[in-house]
Amino acid sequence: MTISWLQAAILGLFACLCSNSCMAGQAVGNYTIGRPLVGGLVCGIILGNVPLGIACGVATQLVYIALVTPGGTVAADVRAISYIGIPLAMVAISSRGLNPFSSDAANMAKSLGTLVGTVGSVLFYAVAFMNLIWQAFGWKDIENNKLNRLYGVDFGWPWLSHLCFSFLPTMLMTHFGAQAVTALRNALPMDGIPMKTLFTVGAMLPCVGIAILLRQIVNTSVDFIPFLVGFTLAASLHLNLVSITIISLLFAMIFYEIEMFGAKSDNGSSASTVSASSSDDDDEEEEDI
Amino acid sequence: MDASNEKKISKKTLNKSFNLWFWGALTCFSQEHMQTFGYLASMLPIIKELYPDKDEQQKNIHAYTAFFNTNPMLGSVIIGTTASMEEARANGKGIDGETINDMRAGLMGPIAGIGDSLIDGTLIPILLGLALGMSQNGSPVGAIFYIVVWDLIAYFGQRFLYFRGYKLGDKAVSILIGKQGKAIRHAISIIGGMVVGGVLASWVNVTTSLELKDATGKVFLNLQKQLDSIFPGLLTVVVTLLCWWLMAKKHVSAIWTMIILIGVALLGVLVGFFNPGLKY
Repeated sequence: MTISWLQAAILGLFACLCSNSCMAGQAVGNYTIGRPLVGGLVCGIILGNVPLGIACGVATQLVYIALVTPGGTVAADVRAISYIGIPLAMVAISSRGLNPFSSDAANMAKSLGTLVGTVGSVLFYAVAFMNLIWQAFGWKDIENNKLNRLYGVDFGWPWLSHLCFSFLPTMLMTHFGAQAVTALRNALPMDGIPMKTLFTVGAMLPCVGIAILLRQIVNTSVDFIPFLVGFTLAASLHLNLVSITIISLLFAMIFYEIEMFGAKSDNGSSASTVSASSSDDDDEEEEDI
Repeated sequence: MDASNEKKISKKTLNKSFNLWFWGALTCFSQEHMQTFGYLASMLPIIKELYPDKDEQQKNIHAYTAFFNTNPMLGSVIIGTTASMEEARANGKGIDGETINDMRAGLMGPIAGIGDSLIDGTLIPILLGLALGMSQNGSPVGAIFYIVVWDLIAYFGQRFLYFRGYKLGDKAVSILIGKQGKAIRHAISIIGGMVVGGVLASWVNVTTSLELKDATGKVFLNLQKQLDSIFPGLLTVVVTLLCWWLMAKKHVSAIWTMIILIGVALLGVLVGFFNPGLKY
């Protein structure tokens, strides 16, 4: 599998639309086109192998299931993951003749996607840095009372930043990277230490993504319990995710009622003490019910 | 403008302002000003309608030149709120640029915190978790499901928040950070926790290949089988909790956590603990 200039250019265009400061808006750009699962579909269509693209997208998405960017700091760049990493992973998997749905192929995609995504965060900072030029234009426009030009500052000029740091890097890296990935196949045998390590890391990388998410939802150690219950339902009882979601709705309903009951009965007492001890209250009140 | 001489922002202008935010909150992003220009662009139609005089426009847009950054999804409630405050300012109801700015600066932090944990940390992982299940075996159904459901929620949700903010002013925010909002967030975090646990168990599988053999070559200890008999997927949970511990308790960055995992993997491969069993 190779990537032609035209295919590389289309990938470059999608990279402009989806990066963290994205030209297609935050919801459609970053949160839709930029997600590796959607990127897998798009890359699959562009490169003409949808099942392989989806398989790579699914594998890589797991690593980045929670891509929170607090305060505009990024640990990984979605444009690089979805539109450089996934196409290269697709080439690597097909050049090594792996079954796209095997865990080997998935681990390959995870390792490659994560590597490219991490290095690619440079692109995010480069675009944000170049946007300072257009913002300087914007301050001048306000000073000179040419307010209509602010639309151009927000929607027009940033395309130039993306041309330099999204379009061109994506186009060049997917076109030439595809050849490099194929050449690498002969250099690194599958049963050598480097490849074994690469695939082992690939299997473990999603744990980092899940851990980032846990950092968001776990405040006290009891917050681990819903997570472990969900894990047990799938690992031991082999329920699928829709079933787990439905079971979790019941627990959510119970917790909501308890918390609202507590808020009502404590009406008048200070709100801060209620909120501070709410997790303990929940455990006690659950026994009463 | 009308008989009572009260200025009112037209529905069309509010729509335009909302769409500018929806599509442009992050387009001209920089580390220094972040979403400031997205904010300026979305307030511009409102400023232009409320103040026909060009110098007035220039004077009043200055209220929005201060630094702004929040979660862009939930943040639309702040834009809607400032739209209603700007309207009050134009009608001389004792609101000045300073009041608007204080409100904005005070809200962007809490809204960012709630939005990041609720949307990025819970809603999107749930949708993606469901979508991943549907896209097993290379089917595009899951990806399409995510595109349709997420974008409908994002567009109409943000639209709802924007117009809620406009209608209720700063009261709108109390819905999000009040008692009911807190109960809803707690309930949703339960769903999030369980689904994420399910995602981990269904999709991630860290296994060991360690086997101990006796003199005749018979396997007397298969570690993976032993671990599975204690708790299926134990190793996966252990690796995840290790990553969580490194990042949450030891303040190791995500990138360094990944590098540590590479070290663990290399060591494991060398001693035979990990072996993906690759071949052509």
